[in-house]
Amino acid sequence: MDRFLDAVFLGLSSGAIYALVALSLVVVFRASGHLNFAAGEMGTLSAFIAWAFYDAGVPLVIAALLGMAFGALLGGATEVAIVRPLEKKSPLAVFVALIALFLGINALTTGIWGAPPAEEIGNLFPNDPEDFWRIGGGVWRDRDIGALVVTLVITGLLFFLFQRTRFGLAMRGVASNAESARLVGVPTSRVLIGSWAIAGAIGAIAAILVAGNQGQVTPIIMVTIFVYGSAAATLGGLDSPGGAVIGGLLIGIIENLAAEFSKDWVGQEMKLGVALLVIFVVLLVKPSGLFGTAKVERV
Amino acid sequence: MTTVDDDAYVSELGPQAVAAEPAAAATLLHVANLRAGYGPVVVLHNVSLSVGEGEVVVVLGANGAGKTTTMRAISGTIPREGEIDMAGRSILKASPDAIVRAGIAQVPQGRGTFPELNVEDNLRIGAYTQRGGGIDDDIKRWFDTFPRLAERKTQKAGSLSGGEQQMLAIARALMSRPRLLLCDEPSQGLAPRITKELFAIIGELSRDQGIAVLLVEQNANLAMHIADRVYLLETGHIVASGDAETIAADDSIRKAYLGY
Repeated sequence: MDRFLDAVFLGLSSGAIYALVALSLVVVFRASGHLNFAAGEMGTLSAFIAWAFYDAGVPLVIAALLGMAFGALLGGATEVAIVRPLEKKSPLAVFVALIALFLGINALTTGIWGAPPAEEIGNLFPNDPEDFWRIGGGVWRDRDIGALVVTLVITGLLFFLFQRTRFGLAMRGVASNAESARLVGVPTSRVLIGSWAIAGAIGAIAAILVAGNQGQVTPIIMVTIFVYGSAAATLGGLDSPGGAVIGGLLIGIIENLAAEFSKDWVGQEMKLGVALLVIFVVLLVKPSGLFGTAKVERV
Repeated sequence: MTTVDDDAYVSELGPQAVAAEPAAAATLLHVANLRAGYGPVVVLHNVSLSVGEGEVVVVLGANGAGKTTTMRAISGTIPREGEIDMAGRSILKASPDAIVRAGIAQVPQGRGTFPELNVEDNLRIGAYTQRGGGIDDDIKRWFDTFPRLAERKTQKAGSLSGGEQQMLAIARALMSRPRLLLCDEPSQGLAPRITKELFAIIGELSRDQGIAVLLVEQNANLAMHIADRVYLLETGHIVASGDAETIAADDSIRKAYLGY
């Protein structure tokens, strides 16, 4: 039972990070129909910006908020400068450009910050070995609870935005029927910029949490996590924010349980494989994901 | 003698000479030499039409005549050239949201509701260009007009029947408090009984609220009943126009568009 709870707690915290990445993907996908392949790297760059402020003596919380603001700017700028002009040409061009952006940001961060010394950054939550809670025999570290709380708070804010605000209604309208949204006077370009900006800020906090757990920002912190995040978004349903969160948490829990209870077969190296296998099976049964909407093409 | 006969002949068969402009009311929408299309494909070659305040104008045309393209050009969702004036102001270069604010609301072809949003949110988003209060009052007012929508206000629009969705699309368009309602083939896919009910509602809206209507249809019979004036659209050109009775009285037009 202790091992079980340990694995669940660990799964919830790594799952929370996947959930954030998945949320960032879903917010953009709902608005624009694009899968942002650069989401992870955009987060990494934002985490480096947060580090730069932190390194200059700005308190970590403020530095993290500034990193999120940078992520929002980067997201909005990506929509205006890259996605919008290319979208008129072809969706494939956007796809290629976002992969190019992924590679470009990776090259940029490696070029600037790739060499030692390491860019050390603190954790937003208490992170000493004795900072943990004992719950039902399991051990739950403060920083892991913190990551989960951040994810739940952001989910709550997004829910409020979507369900209770005028801009959120516009975002839902664009996701549901972009053509009709334009016809009722929704300024769709502002909705797109806003969605990319929100996604950028969410990706930034995800990367800052990862960096805090590792104690430093490196150019590759988000590479694997992006794979998990996109898997979580696919599992939950690419157009469902709630699905993204549940998908992320599920993947986190499944992979950690598999690693804990099948140390020889799965272990730490193979746990992603187990998670992907689960996704494969789910998608065979329900191709639009657990909570996704099956889109029917209208003629 | 001959000339007089010729003139009489022209004025009967060439209805454009009879009533090309709205007679009584002031012009609300003025479209002249409109050209529009999709990329290199030009669909509208030369469309000129006008709608007076509170008037119901029907544009009849077969499949592919350019009816939907005309609607899209007016609502600003495709590139266009020529003249489009709303209440005396050019909206040729205006964005779709500016055109809604200028008082034009479109009920798109195939209804175009927001299937994942519930009925009330569909109405609410229709008021997106409206600032300030009165939105809840408007929702209540259109729920009174369309009681079937009120019963289904928390249901997702995608779960409504075709007729209900068409009513929702009209009510949503009305939420922007338009002076001109564009209706793109409202009868499409609906049973004749529902279509009749729908046209009755559109006619009432125009009469009671003073909203002008520009309606494009393939199904001419029912649309003619509520029309003040009619235009005929063929392959991107307006080929005839006139008041509804004149058009309905014309043998060749009646055979081609009304089927009797």
